Amino acid sequence: MGDCQSLGDCDDKRIVRLYEYLDGALSLQDLTEVKAHLEHCAECTEEYDLECIIRSVVRRSCQENAPETLKSKIITRISEIRVESGHA
Amino acid sequence: MAVLQVAAPADPRLRVDLAVMTEHTQGTDTVPVADETEAQRRERFERDALQYVDQLYSAAMRMARNPADAEDLVQEAYTKAYSAFHQYKPGTNLKAWLYRILTNTYINLYRKRQREPLRTGNDTVEDWQMAKAAQHTPAGLRSAEVEALDHLPDSDVKDALQSITEEFRLAVYFVDVEGFPYKEAAEILGVPIGTVMSRLHRGRKQLRELLADYAHARGIGAAAKSGGATKPGAEKK
Repeated sequence: MGDCQSLGDCDDKRIVRLYEYLDGALSLQDLTEVKAHLEHCAECTEEYDLECIIRSVVRRSCQENAPETLKSKIITRISEIRVESGHA
Repeated sequence: MAVLQVAAPADPRLRVDLAVMTEHTQGTDTVPVADETEAQRRERFERDALQYVDQLYSAAMRMARNPADAEDLVQEAYTKAYSAFHQYKPGTNLKAWLYRILTNTYINLYRKRQREPLRTGNDTVEDWQMAKAAQHTPAGLRSAEVEALDHLPDSDVKDALQSITEEFRLAVYFVDVEGFPYKEAAEILGVPIGTVMSRLHRGRKQLRELLADYAHARGIGAAAKSGGATKPGAEKK
């Protein structure tokens, strides 16, 4: 991957590095390194943007509202537990 | 060069019990848990735990395959959580604790009942799509398609997520959607951090390839390349 060697010597490693960067899982030194690399590498920046977009799209798509009745069903079941166990 | 969080995957302390999830100081303790009456405990549970019902339901929808099962799963998890609430340490991460119970409930109860190959039984990804996905480069998408991804309907994204290998999917869900650090995701899933990381990597890769296919199938990629004039066809939102 040309001058992207600093992030890893193959495509896979390079992407893992970017993942870790996004996950906040890098040490400060590594983080600075990746950040500096992203400033001048269009290819990795593209990869980075793609990953950001995927995450935001997935996050957006996964938001569900529980059925209105679910909370009250849970409360009912919990109160049954209390009756069954019968002690504090 | 080392990743900070991969301190010691073999460390037994990483396999934490329900009672000792990651510390999060929250402050406001009223009655000491040991002195609580049943009514007080129940009130505390309803106040603190039930606020996450939408989030647990969202996670359950990624585990179960339909709303009815997801609802059952959440109910079951909350019931268990309530029964074990005396083990929960106030001030620790309650949401993570609940997710852990949800995940365990799913693995122990629901999935056993399901007894079917995890990848099949879902009408979302055709064989040809899987075959095609396998031919993609790791990136899977061209730059012109990156922005267009944003316009994929939620249903496509959910289908794609549902189609990736289950254990990878849950890792992706807890880290990418819920934003848990590797360590907490590892506690929720009951696996070492290293396992979470490898599942994440593979899951993200699968997801990316599938999303690329959905984008292609809807002609979004082609539209983006030719200037984005064409709107993607019939959305099934």
